[in-house]
Amino acid sequence: MRSTLLALPLLLGWSLQGAKAEVLFVVNSMDPGIQVLDVATRAELRQIPVLREPHHLALSPARDVLLVGDSGGNEILFIDPATGELRKRERIANPYNLEFSPDGKMLVVTGLRRDQVDIYAWEAGTASLNLLGRVKPGDMPSHIAYRPDSKMAYVTVQGSRAIAAIDLETRQIAWTMQVGREPAGIIWHNGKLLVGVMGADFVAVVDPEGRRVERQIKVGRGAHALFPSPGGGPVYVTSRVDSRITALDPVTLDIMRVYDVPGGPDCISFDERGRLWTTLRWTRQIGLLDPETGEVSTSPVGRSPHGILFQARNLHPRTDATAAR
Amino acid sequence: MFDAAVRLYDSFTSWLFQVAVQPALYQLGMMEWAEDAFSWMDFFVFGFVQVLVVYAVCRPLEAWRPVERWEDRRVVTTDIAYTLLSRLGVLPLMAFVILAGVQAQVAGWIADLGWVAPNLETLVPGLESRPLAAFLVYILILDFGEYWRHRLQHSIPWWWALHSIHHAQEKMTFWTDDRNHVIDDMIAALWFGGLALLIGVPPGQFPLIVLILRVAESLSHANVRLSFGRLGERLLVSPRFHRLHHGVLSAGQEGRNFAVLFPLWDMIFRTGDFRRDVFPRTGDPEAPRELVQGGWWRQQVAGTRRLWRALRGLPARG
Repeated sequence: MRSTLLALPLLLGWSLQGAKAEVLFVVNSMDPGIQVLDVATRAELRQIPVLREPHHLALSPARDVLLVGDSGGNEILFIDPATGELRKRERIANPYNLEFSPDGKMLVVTGLRRDQVDIYAWEAGTASLNLLGRVKPGDMPSHIAYRPDSKMAYVTVQGSRAIAAIDLETRQIAWTMQVGREPAGIIWHNGKLLVGVMGADFVAVVDPEGRRVERQIKVGRGAHALFPSPGGGPVYVTSRVDSRITALDPVTLDIMRVYDVPGGPDCISFDERGRLWTTLRWTRQIGLLDPETGEVSTSPVGRSPHGILFQARNLHPRTDATAAR
Repeated sequence: MFDAAVRLYDSFTSWLFQVAVQPALYQLGMMEWAEDAFSWMDFFVFGFVQVLVVYAVCRPLEAWRPVERWEDRRVVTTDIAYTLLSRLGVLPLMAFVILAGVQAQVAGWIADLGWVAPNLETLVPGLESRPLAAFLVYILILDFGEYWRHRLQHSIPWWWALHSIHHAQEKMTFWTDDRNHVIDDMIAALWFGGLALLIGVPPGQFPLIVLILRVAESLSHANVRLSFGRLGERLLVSPRFHRLHHGVLSAGQEGRNFAVLFPLWDMIFRTGDFRRDVFPRTGDPEAPRELVQGGWWRQQVAGTRRLWRALRGLPARG
């Protein structure tokens, strides 16, 4: 009965385009599949089946293709973000995380379970990928960030306690450095790299030129991923063990506010009202956090939801991928 | 009702992970395994469920129509210990951790060759959109692998030295399924898990496949006078079918009825015995007494000694 009600909008012939809806793409890593939800009603508009174990997603620079990596199924799915239609699947080994370069010319894919990082050229016209190079930065490469000039990519290497800088022109590892136990999320922010150290409780502020950790910001156990809010607002950090989201001042990086978000918050996508949609990895839910009031409401989704994207027509959607730039 | 059961299960695993598993991983500096641990926690929860389901199915059957009745059930208690150690223990997790490390190396090497490992769904047109059919094909392939592992356990001397612990039980019950040497269990876990990884079994389906196979295997060992009939005996392994395999005249290389779930393999490879009225005594007449009546530890030590002798080309006894 419940599933019938959830499918009602679809049965009535809604499409994302026709409904002019604000929608959410939620990547369920253990069900597995991609749910498209109507933001207003939280009803499921579409379910995109995935073979094995999808985790992260990335919106193309022109925002006309949504790429979802199925790390267990060895595929990248190409989805039309306006309609939710699956356009094609491409066979790529273990695509755990993926991120477009700021200039939109490259896509870096981490293979967490094959200890490799692939560098692809992105052909926007045909929405195709061409492998340029592959590096082996260490054990379990995970999240990705870029220098704004798109000449350098930075990857966290969870099993090696390190980050690796990859020269995108030579496609070689330029340097690596230790940052702490099991580093996860990473972003470029005002000339520094901010790294969520998952095996500890802090964000490491790294000077990429001096190659040293300048500062540690305590945010909570299991510090994970970081998301700068649109318009230069706070930087939000998820902590999966203490189950919280911490807002950092974008200039000073001081803690502005801490929000308790039960369920293991992971990825975040912002809506046009500045609210945070977050996946709750351990509770089969997504959460909506209003940063003004601190209120959190939840909605049921599939098992172990990971990547998330808020998509509003004629607006600039932000994802866990685009937010990291 | 199914939704309610799923919600209850999710609530329990979510609670268990957040209050116990994840904090433990954090303390141990193993947070990079958090996602895998969340997946594999199902295996341990399923271990409890398996024992409960198997007991609920098999115990009433054994009470209803036992093949044999015994006053002294001490050796059955040993088999219960085997079951609890095996199904709630760390062996499956150890195999997974070992395989995950190996898999990273193999996966990287394969990717360097420019080849992307397929799944059955991408190899067989039609399976991609038919998850139930894909699930059945995966079970069929894994069961085929189990048939051949079982054949090899009986035909390779050092492997038989280990497997003979399983066949030494003269009072066979549904608990006997897990009566195995730990090295034999490790090999079995690597064999089964390796094949599952090779053909790309979806991790989410893996516990369910294990549950189905385990319930079938436990039932096939039950001390119950039960045959599935002329047709049923050829579709699924019954207690009658597997009891012939454990019969006193069937141990070692002369074994029959090796199948775990589908007798099809015994039909194809001509190792099946479908006499429906035969319920022989079980056990291995050549097994030393410590394998028959010893406790868990004595059996493990004796099995290791037999393995060592077999590897040196010596007879099992002596």
